[in-house]
Amino acid sequence: MPDEFNRFLASALAPSAGLPDRQFVGRVQVLIALDERLAAQRRLMIRNLEMQLLALAAMGASAWWIGRAEPVASLFERSPAVTLAILLSLFALLVVLLGRRPAAPLSKLNGS
Amino acid sequence: MHRSNDEDLALSKRAARGDSAAFAMLVEKYERSLRAFLSRAFGSEVADDIAQDAFIKAWRAAGQYDGRARYSTWLTRIAWRCRLDALRRHRREDVSEPEAGDLPGMSAEITDMLGRLSESERAALVLCEGHGWTHNEAAELLSLPLGTLKSTVARAKAKCRKMWEGAENA
Repeated sequence: MPDEFNRFLASALAPSAGLPDRQFVGRVQVLIALDERLAAQRRLMIRNLEMQLLALAAMGASAWWIGRAEPVASLFERSPAVTLAILLSLFALLVVLLGRRPAAPLSKLNGS
Repeated sequence: MHRSNDEDLALSKRAARGDSAAFAMLVEKYERSLRAFLSRAFGSEVADDIAQDAFIKAWRAAGQYDGRARYSTWLTRIAWRCRLDALRRHRREDVSEPEAGDLPGMSAEITDMLGRLSESERAALVLCEGHGWTHNEAAELLSLPLGTLKSTVARAKAKCRKMWEGAENA
């Protein structure tokens, strides 16, 4: 049988009944919306990074394949500096072309 | 499964599919009890931060709630881990153990009593005596053997009783 102390303790430690704290609920909702936006941005960045790594790998493979071709290989033997300069120029051109790809519009992230 | 668990499971599943309105209903339903527990166990100055952190993690992990435990139990476990993570982050800092915080409707008497208990004693006492948790649930949350949990609750209760009787006789 609960004595007076037990009743006091149970009532003092029980969560108070009442309406939810709208301010707190609103704050959590804002934080969740922000969390979602950051997660979307992270996903987009990872996708972009994957694409860029893939592009770099493709370019590296292409350069290796071109380098194996007889005319290029002989040119490389004759003047490696010129061949390297040509390959680097091609690489720079590709980097510029890839860099021009427009980023996703901000409205996409905002969901509007 | 309890009916409330079914409702919460349905809301949590909707939240897992990105329905923030469903999750807001869960926040509305459980914020008072979670914040009351955190405030009494860790102090009001950190309670809201931990509660917010816990709700964000519950949103991210909404798909993992399977309805076997009560949603409040699942949520409190997340909040408890948030508290442990925060303590680990601040391990190098000189952080003194917080005292139980004031809550609207919480008497100075109980605040004083809880302030004289250790953090684990406070948590165990609040969960088992105030929030209706079973000893098993509280032992699991606090990572204590069942016997240790029972003795922790009994010790905390005895300390509070002594203070209460002292105040009554004064």
